[in-house]
Amino acid sequence: MFIAKKEDDPAKTFKLTPKNAYANRMEWIMEEDLALFAVDYASKLDVDYVDARFEGHYNELMIVADGKVHRGVINRKSGIGIRTLVNGAWGFQSTTDLTKKGIRQTAEIAFKVAKASSKHVSTPVRLAPTKAYETSYRTQVKVELEDIDFEDKLKQIITWEKKLHTSKKIVRGLAKYAGIKINKIFVNSEGANIRFSNSLTEVSLKAYSKNGDITQFYEKTVGHSGGYEIFQKNDMEKISSETGRKAERLLEAKAAKTERDATVIIDNDYAALLVHEIVGHPSEADRVLGREAAWAGTTWWAGKIGEKIGSEYFTAYDDPAIPGTLGYYLYDDEGVKAERKMLVEKGVLKEHMHSRETASVFGVEPNAGMRAITFEYIPLIRMSNTFFGGGDWEKEELIEETKHGYLILCMRHPSIDDKRYNWTISAQEAYEIKNGELTTHLRDAALTSTAPKFFQSMNAVTEKIEILPLPGCGKGDPMQLLHVGNGGPYVRGVATVLGVQ
Amino acid sequence: MASILTGLREAGETLLKIAEKRRFDEAEAYLVSNKVLTIRLVNNAVFESKGVHDIGVGLRVIKGNMLGFGSTADLSKKSLEKLVDVATSTAKARKLPFKYSFPKPRKIPKVAGTHDKRLAELPSEKAVDLAYNMVEAAVAYDKKIVDSAGVLNVVDYETLVLNTHGVSAENAGTFFEASLSATAKRGENTCEGSESTAGRSLKEFKPRDIGEKAAEMAVSGLESQRLKEDTYTVILDYEPAHGVFYYASRMVSPVIARLYFPLFMDKVGKKIASPQVTLIDDPLMPNGVGSAPVDDEGTPSKRQVIIDKGVLKTFVYDSYYGAMEEKKTTGSAIRGGAIWALFAIGVSAFPGKNYNGEPIPVPRNPYFKPGKWKREEILEETKQGLLIRRFHYTRLTNPTRGDFTSVLRMGLYAVKNGEIAGAVKKSRLLDNLLNILQNVDAVSDKLVVAGSWGDYAHMPVIRTKAHVAPID
Repeated sequence: MFIAKKEDDPAKTFKLTPKNAYANRMEWIMEEDLALFAVDYASKLDVDYVDARFEGHYNELMIVADGKVHRGVINRKSGIGIRTLVNGAWGFQSTTDLTKKGIRQTAEIAFKVAKASSKHVSTPVRLAPTKAYETSYRTQVKVELEDIDFEDKLKQIITWEKKLHTSKKIVRGLAKYAGIKINKIFVNSEGANIRFSNSLTEVSLKAYSKNGDITQFYEKTVGHSGGYEIFQKNDMEKISSETGRKAERLLEAKAAKTERDATVIIDNDYAALLVHEIVGHPSEADRVLGREAAWAGTTWWAGKIGEKIGSEYFTAYDDPAIPGTLGYYLYDDEGVKAERKMLVEKGVLKEHMHSRETASVFGVEPNAGMRAITFEYIPLIRMSNTFFGGGDWEKEELIEETKHGYLILCMRHPSIDDKRYNWTISAQEAYEIKNGELTTHLRDAALTSTAPKFFQSMNAVTEKIEILPLPGCGKGDPMQLLHVGNGGPYVRGVATVLGVQ
Repeated sequence: MASILTGLREAGETLLKIAEKRRFDEAEAYLVSNKVLTIRLVNNAVFESKGVHDIGVGLRVIKGNMLGFGSTADLSKKSLEKLVDVATSTAKARKLPFKYSFPKPRKIPKVAGTHDKRLAELPSEKAVDLAYNMVEAAVAYDKKIVDSAGVLNVVDYETLVLNTHGVSAENAGTFFEASLSATAKRGENTCEGSESTAGRSLKEFKPRDIGEKAAEMAVSGLESQRLKEDTYTVILDYEPAHGVFYYASRMVSPVIARLYFPLFMDKVGKKIASPQVTLIDDPLMPNGVGSAPVDDEGTPSKRQVIIDKGVLKTFVYDSYYGAMEEKKTTGSAIRGGAIWALFAIGVSAFPGKNYNGEPIPVPRNPYFKPGKWKREEILEETKQGLLIRRFHYTRLTNPTRGDFTSVLRMGLYAVKNGEIAGAVKKSRLLDNLLNILQNVDAVSDKLVVAGSWGDYAHMPVIRTKAHVAPID
């Protein structure tokens, strides 16, 4: 333990023993016994079903803007969430009181509220069957978060933020780092027992530029499921400088003008937000069933499974089982084994994302769509890594074969209606294409269309697919902000280009 | 106060002693007990009931020019020792280029009506029944109501701030937030309506009113017409008025302005809105949805005018951002709510209070100074325009320039010669926030608590101008 003298220079003498003692190697309280105790105890309370998620969380957050540190935070939390099904109604309660008394009380509350809810249930919840897996797995990590000093990490974030300021035209910079570790045990009354050690790291960089009345910004996110190695593998200083320079260059770009029904080629980054908003969210079966109507909304393609809703170039998947992605997992928070879901195949709507309960309603196999951000939340149907499927085009060919159109690069802001039908998404930058060549550099462009119109218009997709990190997908009440992956190939289709408002 | 605070105080005092032993210059413990019960309604039924009781502590420490932070939900002695290690490591990393100190003890005012024992002790079975009353009322309102979904959150929190200067500030509060969305159907036509509200006490929760208003809006929109894209005189009802002023009241936070929405940077002392706009933060307001005797670092609450007759008077500060910008704290530190959750990646962020992060400064109980108009008078005095009762998916699409958009998903009506001339199909509002603020020409005399997801304000109905376009 360090004890400094008052007169010492704190910056020089403030040391810890042992090194990195702040993290203490995350003494995971993986009390499998307590999780089993919770399920055993609740099972005696006349429940139809019970599951428990015992989790240990470790989070680091740093936010630096214009050389000033706005956040430098470490959180630790462990606890258990108990979900019960009583007479066809759900009840849930969580606690950080990890005594047997605390867990008994928590289970009793979860039972009591489920029973109270069951009075007002119209259609009792039924669960589609799934195998009770007993397994353990972990995200591949090369450099654990704890292996890099918090101080060293913060110095790096400060440097990356500084690198955003490539000239005086950059009026603001922002660098945000998040490191998350989650150890989880899932057990249920059907005998499942699954352990998962996950690690997520991401950095978002944003540069604001200004020249006279023109203001612009450019942002870039680097992240994955894994350890700190991603920031060693990528040249983050270079990425920061490029982000700053792109924000600068946007000041010289020409303001986009509105053009109806233009040929557009969207890159992987823009496709990531598009697929997220108009394929991922409407594929959530709770949304399809109208259960999110009061919050995020519903979906226009309810009841259209098996119908053609787009061209043969429109294929989309959701796949949690891709190592390294932000949406990675092999078993969801109901213990269902994750596999690739084919949401749309060559324009035909094939499958939604399901919980065990919605799978029962639709009469299909559950497909591992349920997740919660911590043990304190009841799981919801969430996308994992949702992306457009690829084709056989090369990016260069797409541009060469376009007589007049626009190359739309990198997502900015979405505005989508409640049925995920009408969409408007702005882009960070764009280029006009004339006779197969990129010409004028454009700023402040957005695309707008309806989902079916755009899906029908898709007429070419590249072979190469990229899945990007999207931290902070929101759903639920209380809100759960979750990390997901989204992406796809370059996609060519038709949409209206919106210029400056 | 309740026994939970006794346990929290013991943990907080232990933590400060450990920090003092480690020779920190200053330390602050923010201890929280936050209980949330959520009843979720879907398809005209109760779908699930869920609860969380989050207890824990956030620790800030100062050593020389270094500032550290850590939090834990484990209040055992061993865990608190470890928490000081965590805060030490973050402090070692974070060297401030300005002098910073935690708040000093000051006299704490009293604020009435922030905690309701009946709401705090509401049995879960009763909460389920009350939530279901919203559905019953909606369905009973009209046979055309075919579906509904909604939520009731009941929040009960207690907090304690202790610091080594001697600050010892307790705070307790309750609130509920309730909403219902109803769907009406006639033939092939369907239309949604919704209603939401929040309040500090159980007596303010009127579930049947919520259900009926949601149903009324849904039924009233069944026959609707498509509008022509144009700039309209728009009457923003309480909820969409909040949608506009949510951004305005957040952009006077130095951290929100620096990191996310810089529109009001360098605009203090300048005219940003019409003379009809006066926005006040009054956390001393009895029964105020954001009222409390102290802020979330123990500074006594005070009333302050943010926008005075259209002129931006001040930003708001906590002790940290005050020190950073050489200003005094305005007692505006919050730890919790939707805007705070932007600074809480990967951790839970329930309605109520949260110990998992440092405070941020924002107006805590914003209210819009009422005008002289009755709501009906605003309508009667509008020759041609739109009445907007709901915003959905509201975004500041260019936070530097102020481009502002919202989907008008439901509750949109044409106004002609002072009367509602029928419902309007789904549309999109696309304009600039500064334009909307500067065009306000009427403000109602009644305020209603409006907002969502833990962020509420006392809002009037306002009339302004905005560009609105139909969507397919």
